[in-house]
Amino acid sequence: MNNFRKWEIKKIDKKDFPPQLKVIKNCPEFLYYRGNWDNKIFEKSLAVVGSRRMSRYGQEISKKMVSELAVQKISIISGFMYGVDTQSHLSALEMGGITIAVLGGGLNVLTPPENEKLYWQILENKGLIISEYEKDFQPTLWSFPQRNRIVSGLSSLGILVVEAGLKSGSLVTARIAREQGKKVWAIPGQIGCSVAEGTNYLIKNNLAKMVTESGDIFKKSSKTNQEVIFESLDPLENLILKELKVEALSMDELSIKSGVDVVQLSTKISMMALEEKVVEENGKVYLNSV
Amino acid sequence: MLTKILSVANLGLQALEIECEVNVAAKGFPAFTIVGLASKAVEEARERVKTAIINSDMEFPLAKITVNLAPADLPKDGACYDLPIAMGILSSSNQIDLGEEKVYFFGELSLDGTLRHCRGVFLLAILAKEKGVKKIFVPRLCANEAAVVEGIEVFPVDNLKEVIAHFRGEKKIRPLKKIESEELLENMRVQFDFSEILGQNSAKRALEIAAAGGHNVFLMGPPGSGKTMLSRALPGILPPLSEAESLEVTKIYSITGNIAPGSSIIRERPFRSPHHTTSQIGLIGGGSNPRPGEITLAHRGVLFIDEFPELSRGSLEALRQPMEDGYVSISRAAGSVTFPCQFMLVAAANPCPCGFLGDSKKECRCNVHQIANYQKKLSGPIMDRIDIHLTVPAVDVNQLMINKENIKSEKSEEIRKRVVAAREIQRQRFLKIEGVYSNADMKNKHLKELAKLDDKANILLKMAVNKFNLSARTYFRLIKVSRTIADLDNSEIILDKHVAEALQYRVKHED
Repeated sequence: MNNFRKWEIKKIDKKDFPPQLKVIKNCPEFLYYRGNWDNKIFEKSLAVVGSRRMSRYGQEISKKMVSELAVQKISIISGFMYGVDTQSHLSALEMGGITIAVLGGGLNVLTPPENEKLYWQILENKGLIISEYEKDFQPTLWSFPQRNRIVSGLSSLGILVVEAGLKSGSLVTARIAREQGKKVWAIPGQIGCSVAEGTNYLIKNNLAKMVTESGDIFKKSSKTNQEVIFESLDPLENLILKELKVEALSMDELSIKSGVDVVQLSTKISMMALEEKVVEENGKVYLNSV
Repeated sequence: MLTKILSVANLGLQALEIECEVNVAAKGFPAFTIVGLASKAVEEARERVKTAIINSDMEFPLAKITVNLAPADLPKDGACYDLPIAMGILSSSNQIDLGEEKVYFFGELSLDGTLRHCRGVFLLAILAKEKGVKKIFVPRLCANEAAVVEGIEVFPVDNLKEVIAHFRGEKKIRPLKKIESEELLENMRVQFDFSEILGQNSAKRALEIAAAGGHNVFLMGPPGSGKTMLSRALPGILPPLSEAESLEVTKIYSITGNIAPGSSIIRERPFRSPHHTTSQIGLIGGGSNPRPGEITLAHRGVLFIDEFPELSRGSLEALRQPMEDGYVSISRAAGSVTFPCQFMLVAAANPCPCGFLGDSKKECRCNVHQIANYQKKLSGPIMDRIDIHLTVPAVDVNQLMINKENIKSEKSEEIRKRVVAAREIQRQRFLKIEGVYSNADMKNKHLKELAKLDDKANILLKMAVNKFNLSARTYFRLIKVSRTIADLDNSEIILDKHVAEALQYRVKHED
């Protein structure tokens, strides 16, 4: 069994911090960390924040964006909580990227406990786990927003808000980031969706730049092969893909829209799932985005 | 003088002949004693019998009356010995003449002498036929239960006066005409029709497959998506009860007193929906004098459990073995009984405690731990015994209204025709294999021979196993469901399209 405790806890002083962190307001005097500190990994780094209660859409988009950025050797900094944070760490790891987690508690306190595996995976993949608190400090309500200043402070490129409610920690982080002079990006969401209200608010009030593709954050001309998927010889398959491109649908809705009966349709969907063209979850069929 | 009257006691699903010996002594102080492991209900027969006899204008002898219910070591319960005891007293005191012929008496008396509805009359009739007893006297309210049994005369009795008049030769009771069970089976009506449910075509298709192969079903969906309604319509597409099956079910219903007064054998497949707080004993059966539980009452029918994960862990585990065996043995101090329980399990659940996980309109209010705990209950051995897993999405009412014309709704009757045809194919297939009646009953060793896959189907199945990380158990379940889909398609060999459709009903949780 892999135990993260075998990684030694080290301490780093303010003078050795990456330059972008030194200048922030309330900069901590020192930080505890596990892993191998190297200021190079912060040269190209992005903070990703968002709701703990992520929607399927948020999950898909953060997966897509973070993976694309991680491939381009951008370090992903996030807060290790469940929801968007965990998803961002995971997507970065999946692409072999470096990811940094800033905890809201001490380094020996595992919050949330489900993320134990993620903890040592980050360390094994040259990442860092950072905290400004003593090693056994229990996270509290105020310590989470506290650590957010470090999350955004460490980033060189800015912060990306994936999904956020109107009164959420993510909006607080966005405000802190602005005060630190960082760039703030936000992904737009569906109107009326509670976890999109915050991000849409940021965009509407010019508090954040709208992001619709990873290139908006970091440009390095790479052509996405998204469109290639929509070419298929089978007319029914094309019809299904066309409908799914608009929104995810349940089997019945698909049946009504395409006019094909459920027996034939479910046979087809199974085949398409096998070919990784679609994903089924919670009774709905989604277009496979990755 | 001593008189011996025959009656019947029920033990589990078995009926046993008992002798009710009544002695009205010429000497001794007036008294009325009942012996023979009688329960409180039987003890109290003294007051009912005495009053009923007097109220029927007969004389209650002022003498020492002793009643012995033999065999003495068998516990007797229920009020159904009132009539035999009353007849014994009247005969012993020479007020009526019962003659030499063997007769069963059975029934509870009310104080004015009328007979009440009681449990187990159907089993009594079957026993009478076995033992060669030609005549039975039972309460009119439950006489129809007995009237389906051939070769016996059933005398429906309204009150004590009628029986007395019958044996005094004053006015004979007319025996009931035999009721043909076949004609009863055909007059079946459907309680809920599938055509009444708008949309949900994929769920309907899944239930059709489940009905055709006898597969257990698991329905997951947010509140209001129609899980309960779909399950209630399920009995309507199940094949009708065969005569043998119907008698099995009637036995169980007769013994538990679940047959409505005046009606005869059970013709509809049982649909039981116990609440999730039902105790383990209530579900499985038990008690000091073992009685059938919900799983036995659902024999040959459907056991529907809503809010499945809310069921206590003990009940969930207790369900496992009976589901596998098709019967349940209950041992108590009083003895051991075996109840049949071949049912189709339909379990329904919300995706999370609040019900809205993954819903596009409403936000889920549960935290991660709650969801993890909830779904932990949904994994494990019990879920492994369920072949068809289905997600029922919430229905968008607006869309239903707009697309009303485009939605085709089949009647339950049409679906049932296809189900019956598929069951017939299975019956032929499993003629030689004991204990297997439907595809769901197939054991893994049968699959190779009885569920042949064509090459393309085989490749597809292997692909799916790799892609979706399917376990060996899931693999076999997939083949069984594919077999049923092929049967519905009237195909001897399982083709790739059948497998592809069956893949829709696998567990689709991530990790």
